Amino acid sequence: MALGTISEIDRELARRRIDPGSGEPIQRTSVMTHVAWVPTQWVEAAEDVLTGLADRHPSRTIVLVPDPDAEDGLEANAEVTSYPTGQGRMVCVETIRVRLSGSRAEVPASVVQPLLLPDLPVFLRWRGLPPFGERPFEELVDVVDRLIVDSTEWPDLPAPYAQLAEIFDRVVVSDIAWARTSRWRPQLASLWPGIEDVQTIQVTGTEAQANLLAGWLRSRLGHEVALGHEPSDRLAGVKVDGQPAPFPPGDRPDPADLLSDELDRVTRDRVYEEAVRAAAA
Amino acid sequence: MTETAEPQQENPLLEGLGLRRAPDPCALVIFGASGDLTRRKLFPALYSLAMRHMLPERFAVVGVARSEETDDEFRERMKEAVQEFGRDQFKEDVWDWLAEGMRYVSTDFADEGGEDRVVEALNELDEQRGTAGNRVYYLAVPPDAIATLIQEIGERRSTEGWTRVIVEKPFGRDLTSAQALNVEIGRHFDESEIFRIDHYLGKETVQNLLALRFANGIFEPIWNRQFVDHVQITVAESIGIEGRSGFYEQAGAIRDVFQNHLLQLVALTAMEPPIDFTADSVRNEKVKVLRALHTPGPKHVVRGQYGRGFVEGVEVPGYREEEGVAPDSLTETYVAAKLYVDNWRWADTPFYVRAGKRLARRETTIAIEFKRAPHPPFEITDDEGLRPNVLVCHIQPDEGVSLEFAAKMPGQGMTLRTVHMDFLYGGAFRTGIPEAYERLLLDCFLGDTTLFTRADEVEEQWSLVDAMVAFWKRDKPTFPNYAAGTWGPAAADDLTRRDGRTWRRR
Repeated sequence: MALGTISEIDRELARRRIDPGSGEPIQRTSVMTHVAWVPTQWVEAAEDVLTGLADRHPSRTIVLVPDPDAEDGLEANAEVTSYPTGQGRMVCVETIRVRLSGSRAEVPASVVQPLLLPDLPVFLRWRGLPPFGERPFEELVDVVDRLIVDSTEWPDLPAPYAQLAEIFDRVVVSDIAWARTSRWRPQLASLWPGIEDVQTIQVTGTEAQANLLAGWLRSRLGHEVALGHEPSDRLAGVKVDGQPAPFPPGDRPDPADLLSDELDRVTRDRVYEEAVRAAAA
Repeated sequence: MTETAEPQQENPLLEGLGLRRAPDPCALVIFGASGDLTRRKLFPALYSLAMRHMLPERFAVVGVARSEETDDEFRERMKEAVQEFGRDQFKEDVWDWLAEGMRYVSTDFADEGGEDRVVEALNELDEQRGTAGNRVYYLAVPPDAIATLIQEIGERRSTEGWTRVIVEKPFGRDLTSAQALNVEIGRHFDESEIFRIDHYLGKETVQNLLALRFANGIFEPIWNRQFVDHVQITVAESIGIEGRSGFYEQAGAIRDVFQNHLLQLVALTAMEPPIDFTADSVRNEKVKVLRALHTPGPKHVVRGQYGRGFVEGVEVPGYREEEGVAPDSLTETYVAAKLYVDNWRWADTPFYVRAGKRLARRETTIAIEFKRAPHPPFEITDDEGLRPNVLVCHIQPDEGVSLEFAAKMPGQGMTLRTVHMDFLYGGAFRTGIPEAYERLLLDCFLGDTTLFTRADEVEEQWSLVDAMVAFWKRDKPTFPNYAAGTWGPAAADDLTRRDGRTWRRR
């Protein structure tokens, strides 16, 4: 049944928190509110990630699906998913999916704010390139503690990094593309001091990974590092002045792992911010 | 281009990587490699660390025990142990990496030539695996073998690299033997090289007690005699002695659990905030508590021994019927005491503590019971009435913290009920909880002694236990005095009842 108001969503959540078998309330546990802005074309990918996430970060997830071309309206459904704690008890997490149609898509903060869990951090996952300067994005940035993007999803890199850098003082930013380079950065760091005067870096990976790694080296080493990029859908290799860097150990993390790791962080990542600025320069 | 991990401080690329300090290359030598601890705990812990790339890149393990075994047989036996007891999915490539650096030396600990063979194996591994002369010796051996081993190891310690030694509990069997052992170890090793292990300190939930107390503004101001009525600490096991009669007949509950795990929990509960989380700061505060513990008189100590009974619906034998136990054994399988910490914070606040085997359920908890509300303005209409608030730290199982408080039942009038507000580790953090031995082994490889017991702590613990045991020599208890599967002897209930209190029941 579609829910049309915040009160209806609240009532539905309260109803679903009762175990239908025993009639007893299921324990609710929450460490954050996770807001996801998911334009229609990203819905499928976002659902996959959310499935992997719910079990690891007990939270209230609010999935906002904007549909600005439709007639004005709000249509929501609420789910409560229980899972065992391993000690014979169940705990539940909540997912609220809201379709914001017509003009409602322009003012998402007024829908999100009454649904936030009090006093817990709020994370906003924005799928695709954020419309910097536009109302929906600007409104949500102002109500969340941390913005999570994946610059791999962005066209025309590295130009958008300059706009991203402008919001660093307003909200803490995480970039999953940056997280995907996390296994490689220690490998490159291990080449110190031989890497100190590196002139070129050749990255086989996504455009975002290549730009961010180059930006990272430039900002950390304090000099220009030329970037060569060989496109690949994954970070498959890095050469420093023509020499291959050692391949990192361990398995490549899956998208849910990457988002999950970002949800564990709450502080500002200055190294990332400087890498972004250097990538955009 | 050269590849090197040095020098970390000058490397700008390391900033923000959030890397843990990497342990130096080293070889771990496990004395007692054929024992249960190695199989159930140490190798599963090493595997989990290897899986997470937390072991040194250049690492080796030498197993040492009396039983004859080849390197390959040792590897195979440990592989099965990891598959059976490990918390992670078994991955061949991770195991192969670990197994490549494994060796086995069969020797009697008293055999001098045997120790030389261990040194030969280590020297070979330095060459083959690049372990750089760094050694960790894990003494998972009976207490009477420790002094000899320490001497053998001390006399042969590597001239290159560092040497550390991990000593399993029990550390001695009384104050005199513990002091003698400390002197013997001190002859060969500095305190910073000695890691007296009490695996309780490696438990996440025990460390969380420090987080709960010192990272939250709301608990510490009321964590004292003004607001706390009393503290209850329970270390209960539902299992029996599991075939360890030789050890247990000598140790009993007081040396097996009370002297170490239980007193450490008392120290962590009662300690003052350390100025930082370094080894000496934390241990200084713990030892102050242990020094402040008032020796309980005989009326404040209860010992017990289980008789036949039922655990989880299954009939189990009494302690004296266990294999290898004397039919007239006076070894205690239960001990409870009322302790006082004689200091400004805790004066006159009782700490009721108990530890035992074959109790009703496995449970380790620390319960802080606060004083009652001074003047509830309600008419209490049922037996439940207004119960005091209790903050319970569940060390195991159901790891977490719960707070009991009164709430109004819906409806007319003012009927109150006690409700629980629970924080469950498994609910809030969905990552697996690392085993205590993972944390402790890694800390030792990193040279961090914070979660290990210092010489003066061990001696203070024995000092209290010796004083308690001294009273026991004067009387002969009537054992068994509690049935397996119950919460211990009736006299333990009297211990709290005399003060108008009761043990917590779940």
